Amino acid sequence: MSNKTSQDDNIELSQRRNFFKRTAALGATALAGTSLLASQKDDPAIMHHVPWGQKWGDPVTKNLYGVPSKYEHNVTRRYTKLLASGNYRASIAVTPIHELKGIITPNGLFFSRSHGGIAHVDPQEYRLMIHGLVEKPIVLTLDQLKRYPSVTRVHFIECPANGGQEWRAPQYNSLQFSKGFMSCAEWTGVYIKTILKDLGLKPEAKWMLSEGSDNSEMGRTIPIDKVLDDAMIVWAQNGEALRPEQGYPVRLLLPGWEGNLCVKWLKRLEFASEPWFCKEETSKYTALKPNGKAVQHFYANEVNSTVTSPSPEIPWTDLEDGQLVEIEGLAWSGMGTITGVDLSFDGGKTYVEAKLKGLVLPKAWTRWSYMHRYKKGERLLLTSRARDDAGYIQPTVDEETSVMGVESVYHRNAVETWEVTPEGKVNHVQVRTPGGVKNA
Amino acid sequence: MRRFNKKSVALASALTITAIIGAGCMGEAQPKSQQFTAAASSELNNHPTIDGGVYHPIMNGKTGPYYVNEDTLKGDFRIGREPTKNEIAAWDKDVMPDGTGLPEGEGSVEDGEEIYETKCVSCHGDFGSGGGGYPALSKGNAYDLQKTLTNQRTNPDADGPVRVFGSYWPQASTLFWYIRDAMPHTRSKTLTNDEVYALVAYILNINEMEIDGEEVDEEYVLTRDKFLKIKMPNEDGFEPKIQGEHALENVRTYYKNPKNFGAIKLKDPKERCMTNCQKQTAKVVYIQNGGISDFHPPLSSARTLPGEKAMPTNIAQTRYEENCAACHNLDAGMGAPEVGDKQAWANTLAKGLDKVYANGINGINVMPPKGGTTLSDKDFKAVVDYMIEKSK
Repeated sequence: MSNKTSQDDNIELSQRRNFFKRTAALGATALAGTSLLASQKDDPAIMHHVPWGQKWGDPVTKNLYGVPSKYEHNVTRRYTKLLASGNYRASIAVTPIHELKGIITPNGLFFSRSHGGIAHVDPQEYRLMIHGLVEKPIVLTLDQLKRYPSVTRVHFIECPANGGQEWRAPQYNSLQFSKGFMSCAEWTGVYIKTILKDLGLKPEAKWMLSEGSDNSEMGRTIPIDKVLDDAMIVWAQNGEALRPEQGYPVRLLLPGWEGNLCVKWLKRLEFASEPWFCKEETSKYTALKPNGKAVQHFYANEVNSTVTSPSPEIPWTDLEDGQLVEIEGLAWSGMGTITGVDLSFDGGKTYVEAKLKGLVLPKAWTRWSYMHRYKKGERLLLTSRARDDAGYIQPTVDEETSVMGVESVYHRNAVETWEVTPEGKVNHVQVRTPGGVKNA
Repeated sequence: MRRFNKKSVALASALTITAIIGAGCMGEAQPKSQQFTAAASSELNNHPTIDGGVYHPIMNGKTGPYYVNEDTLKGDFRIGREPTKNEIAAWDKDVMPDGTGLPEGEGSVEDGEEIYETKCVSCHGDFGSGGGGYPALSKGNAYDLQKTLTNQRTNPDADGPVRVFGSYWPQASTLFWYIRDAMPHTRSKTLTNDEVYALVAYILNINEMEIDGEEVDEEYVLTRDKFLKIKMPNEDGFEPKIQGEHALENVRTYYKNPKNFGAIKLKDPKERCMTNCQKQTAKVVYIQNGGISDFHPPLSSARTLPGEKAMPTNIAQTRYEENCAACHNLDAGMGAPEVGDKQAWANTLAKGLDKVYANGINGINVMPPKGGTTLSDKDFKAVVDYMIEKSK
């Protein structure tokens, strides 16, 4: 802790020094560098003309819908056979969050989960029906739906099983698989409450069934509170139509709530006074506690965070002794807005406050950062801990498992730890009491 | 900070009044919707969110950081049309616990077993034991297994809780609804109501369940009336309660208490722990035995272009492994002719190669057309050729 404080002071101090002094110091370093470099070979990437600089590039007529550079071919969603059934039709492909910048996930990298395969809906034959306890049921074509006044919001969608394979111990030496069951995008659609204005919801309506048109006829039950708050029917993602993997042409978006509730290929909304019991409201999407009771209708993804740089995928093996490096991460909460993130270098025993950066929006990914002076050979246990404006803060592994046990599968949001080895490699570890702790 | 406090209640009340006035402007069109707006909003005033989170009312033209054109919220859009009764009936196929949506019909355990053996066993295994990544439907006696739900695998030898239909699911209505809408997974919505009753009867049988004190034995015939008497062993195993008049209130109260769901809430962020935040007993726990590393494609952050080696040596083989192996691999046990099983392929080929191609392209039994791939006929046939070649 004292070590960290003195590092902070050093950074602050150096920032306060006047420009002349700093320039002089840099000049001296540069001079020292020159004599060293005299014996080094010149970099051919600088000394030679590069091939792309001496001939025509592609015409603008190529790739009228753009694709990433061919050199970025490793930046993809990934899957594992462990999380696949139905020949990858009831399965998940997860987002490479170790490669992402900012708070928006490109559409081609947005995590993809389906329960009966990815449906390809013909927009000409698309219909949305809203019925049940309303005065006036309605059926809409896609064009009609898009005539409603739209709202645009940035929200993450997270599978509640994000990190769900690691209740008992860490299993994935990978950020993509440990925390990549989520993505964040700018969504455009209409508030359901806007449509309901004309339909006349009956007072006894308490629950809404949302149902997809896919092979699994994916359905979930939503309480009326959310429907009348910020629930949306969306048709656009980062400025273009939804991708098929995200429910083209239309999905439900319940900001901050379980991804599974945000039904894709949306076909039908029905209102009733009693809840449905859908297939994903049984042994799936319920969190079993050690007392044998399971939490059902577990809506919001709780406050959470992770270190994204370094990561097991992109470690610190290239760092020089004394280099000033940015430790960066993501924080998110389905219950509100991120208000702060703390960072620990000793696995969550002591914390210092990190800085938020960029846009800080409700129920959206939030970037945070901390500047660290790297010492070659140091071993660190990097743990981040976020909090939100609803007052929630991430629990330790022991605190969370003392209530939820290790069989919950869903909604794991305890702090996560990366071990940075003296070689700069990064390993996924957890700091917890072996055998668990009992509920106090 | 916009937490739930008296101020936001007052604001929400003001919004309610605005909403009523707004609805009033629309004349006599929807009196009941006005009534609802008032009732629902007053409930929301007392309970701003159902999930324990922050409520963002629209005020001064904004919700949270977003500007809102409040003219868009007034209604009277005049878009769309009313569905016909037939249209609603065609889509309103859900089944609720009280029997809403449950059709008349009947089916026996015996018929159910026969259908199961033809259409379900290839994925769900003998007697619903699971397999090939598909869920198990039974692990034995539902009443006994319900007692395993307190099991925790906190040591390597411990047995976990058994979470199958009989031991865990809260309602039987889900089973009927899901089978009819989504099963068999490769050809959903093809079963008749009687076939669904028969399959439900069979699944009750393999879970060794009773209806109204009567064992669902091999002679049992399930009807709508009997179905409605099914009492699931773990019906009371869920919280918060979501049925009945006070359901929403129950849920709101439940999520007001962070202790119910393993969360931690601070009155003031300054209270948070900054030193000595881990228990003395907490240790660094590493990934054991290499953990899970079966990642596709393999992890890499390299920006170099893939070399020749990365190209598949045999495209048909790659396609087979990606699309067909789950059911056709040797010892897959899915009922499909297994690659390497000479006898099985000799029997299959006795139909003639054209018939084998056609069956594969059109699908047969539970095999979907082209095995669920999007291959061209030519490429698909090449995969079949590969499978035959490997089974000679």
